Amino acid sequence: MSTTEIGGPSWRARLRALTPNTRRVLYAWAAAVAVIAIGSLFNPDFATWSSLRVMLVVASFIGFVAAGQMLVVLVGGIDLSIPWVLNGAAIVLTTTSLGQTGRTGLALALALGLGAVIGFANGMGVAWLGVPAVVMTLGMNGVMQGLTLGLSKGLTCASCASYAPKPLREVFVDKVFGVPAQLLLWAGVALLLTVLLTLTTFGRRVYAVGVSPRGAYLSGVSVRGVTVALYTLSGVFAAIAGIALVAYGGQPSLGLGDPYLFESIAAVVVGGVSILGGRGHYVGVVAGSLTLVAVVTFLQAQRVPEYGRSIIYGLVILAILLTYGREKSNA
Amino acid sequence: MVLTEKSEMQVMAIEASGVDRAFGGVQALRGASFAARPAEIHALAGENGAGKSTLIKVLCGVITADRGKVEIFGQQVRRVVEPAARRGLGVATAFQELSLIPDLTVAENLLLHSPPRGRLGLVRRGRLVPEAEAILHRYGVDYIDSRLTAAELSVAHRQVVELVRVLATEPRVLILDEPTAALPDKQVEWLSGHMRRLRDAGTCVIFTSHRWREIEALADRVTVMRNGTHVATRENLSEAEAVTLMSGRTFEGTYPDVTTIATGETALRVSDLRGGRLQGVSFSMRQGEILGVGGLAGQGQRDLFLTLFGAQRAAAGNLEVGGFPVTLRRPRDAIRAGLGIAYVPEDRKAEGLFLPLSIRDNIALATLARRSSGGLVSRGREAQAVASLVGQLRIGAGRSTSQAVGNLSGGNQQKVLMARWLLTDAQVLLLFDVTRGVDAATKRDIFDLIAQLAAQGKAILFYSSETEEIAHLCHRVLVLREGRVAVELDGPVRDAERIVAASLKEVPGA
Repeated sequence: MSTTEIGGPSWRARLRALTPNTRRVLYAWAAAVAVIAIGSLFNPDFATWSSLRVMLVVASFIGFVAAGQMLVVLVGGIDLSIPWVLNGAAIVLTTTSLGQTGRTGLALALALGLGAVIGFANGMGVAWLGVPAVVMTLGMNGVMQGLTLGLSKGLTCASCASYAPKPLREVFVDKVFGVPAQLLLWAGVALLLTVLLTLTTFGRRVYAVGVSPRGAYLSGVSVRGVTVALYTLSGVFAAIAGIALVAYGGQPSLGLGDPYLFESIAAVVVGGVSILGGRGHYVGVVAGSLTLVAVVTFLQAQRVPEYGRSIIYGLVILAILLTYGREKSNA
Repeated sequence: MVLTEKSEMQVMAIEASGVDRAFGGVQALRGASFAARPAEIHALAGENGAGKSTLIKVLCGVITADRGKVEIFGQQVRRVVEPAARRGLGVATAFQELSLIPDLTVAENLLLHSPPRGRLGLVRRGRLVPEAEAILHRYGVDYIDSRLTAAELSVAHRQVVELVRVLATEPRVLILDEPTAALPDKQVEWLSGHMRRLRDAGTCVIFTSHRWREIEALADRVTVMRNGTHVATRENLSEAEAVTLMSGRTFEGTYPDVTTIATGETALRVSDLRGGRLQGVSFSMRQGEILGVGGLAGQGQRDLFLTLFGAQRAAAGNLEVGGFPVTLRRPRDAIRAGLGIAYVPEDRKAEGLFLPLSIRDNIALATLARRSSGGLVSRGREAQAVASLVGQLRIGAGRSTSQAVGNLSGGNQQKVLMARWLLTDAQVLLLFDVTRGVDAATKRDIFDLIAQLAAQGKAILFYSSETEEIAHLCHRVLVLREGRVAVELDGPVRDAERIVAASLKEVPGA
């Protein structure tokens, strides 16, 4: 560029020089900070560490499911089976562990395995049978709901009253250096996903498939393999969220996962991940999860009634997405 | 230039002045101006990245200018973004990126904006096909079946439909961006006829082309652009002058010398290959040889390339790479097979490049595993490998390799794609129309590169929609006709007419 500017480039120019991916992550964090800032204008306690800590813990549950959702959205897919995979995994964990410490490992393996198996089945359906992701995963959600309700007899089975085993519950109640262990787990997930997506051959292939499946295929990428792996991971993350929720709350309930379908998609989109695939980072999704929780917390603090909360919640998400949409598209 | 009083007084059909426009960090237009009169054919020339396409998009209102104004018949258009609004002003545009909707039929696409309606304003579906056929007939292209979907047509036929759709609006200003890039010679003539007819009827026709002889044959005036600005507008301009104006450099001889005959080992042997339009193709090529594939459009050239790359299943036939028989089920097999096979496609946006991804990611994609351990990419080795190719191919004039490929000009994008496949070190290169829509200077770079690769011992299968290029660049030319090798010509053929003649022989009705 030969244009000379006085006083260095403007912030606008600097913003434009960033890659679209980085810019989207910045916007997501700006949205999170803005919501928290507005909240603390109304209520000075809103941005204190103890309040933030609670918000972060609540956000981490969304963060886990949104991790899986983001992975499939990156290749232009969607996972609608999250609610009952989550719920199923939560119930498998308590009913197989029977609350006994000695069975923790087995129960964890079974719960995570369930998520992986269902996710794998979703991936196979989408990649090999060519079933549209919406249909495949919605169908799987129904199957999981039926299985869960049937096998647990509507959560009235003998072992259904069990609690999560003690070591698990302690992990989620304990603090390490004053930080809830759960947040450390979330930080670990964030680090893992960032490394996976930006530094590995797998991550590079994910973005390539997301941008152009045909182009990726012609470059020797196994498009089907990548797709199946991503859906499997999404199932595993739904199971992790289920485990985290029972460990945190002690016992599972029916419909435990229902709120997380909408929230996982909203966190992914508010986090700057393109619903068309190929663009976005988990760092943005972390901000997206936090933004959602901050909005809800703020509305609760303002004593807005339930129906009003729903309306405002929806409008705020729309408003945030409209701001993103104003960005001129490149190329 | 002497301006007569008349032309001074004459209202310009379309005029842009002082237009600026940036994409991301790239300034595509800087103070660009352009003016075209009614009843003239006005060519817009310039290298890739000179800003032609951007200027055209500003003229027809697909994008707005950051600064500057556009006037249509003396009337200033304000921040109107909808091309539909400009249609009302009599401006019609056919774009380089085909704008047909793939899953709609030709008839539906043709009548998209003005479908036949019944009394209640509902579309009368029964009238669609007859009306579309009437339009196709009026423009002399009855050979296109209006009931096929756009996706089922060849690239050339899709372009024809796109053009018919625009011509049928009988516009006052007709803008054609690279209308001939995908057209065989016969259809180029057809289009030329319509452009002249519209001009004689008073329409202002603006077009871009990388083929100088078309500009010479058609244009009344030529405007040359470079680096996003207007360089010159002339009535008479020789090719040499134009190239100098476009590039600021001078060129001697467009094609590298390929007279030395390749004597390497056999790199690829194909026998009785069938599948798609292929009806049994047999040939072999040596290391160091550039083998041209000629023929009329749609004689199986594309099927041949895709099958040799494993992207399309062969129904029958044998393939030997480096002396060993191979079976290719998917592109990955071809990349790994023996000497390695690489395929550079014509449609670089749909089949080759990942526009939002960086130059580095695009180049590294096919060879990720070679620079990684335990699944982790070694960023240092990657940066090194990418940098050496970026330097060797002179990609993007010192731009950072983390820039999105979508911000690069067409020529540079093509080089990025070539770089990806050179990195695989494949010894058999399948180059399918790689110079399509590429400017003269970049073309020259690509030809030199191909000759250099052949000299290093790579076997190159080369197809181009411009027969001229096959005639000059190839050691040997296979002319395909109806899915078979009809004639084999020793090269360099030099005279493109010989290839064309061989393509036509015995084809009834051609």
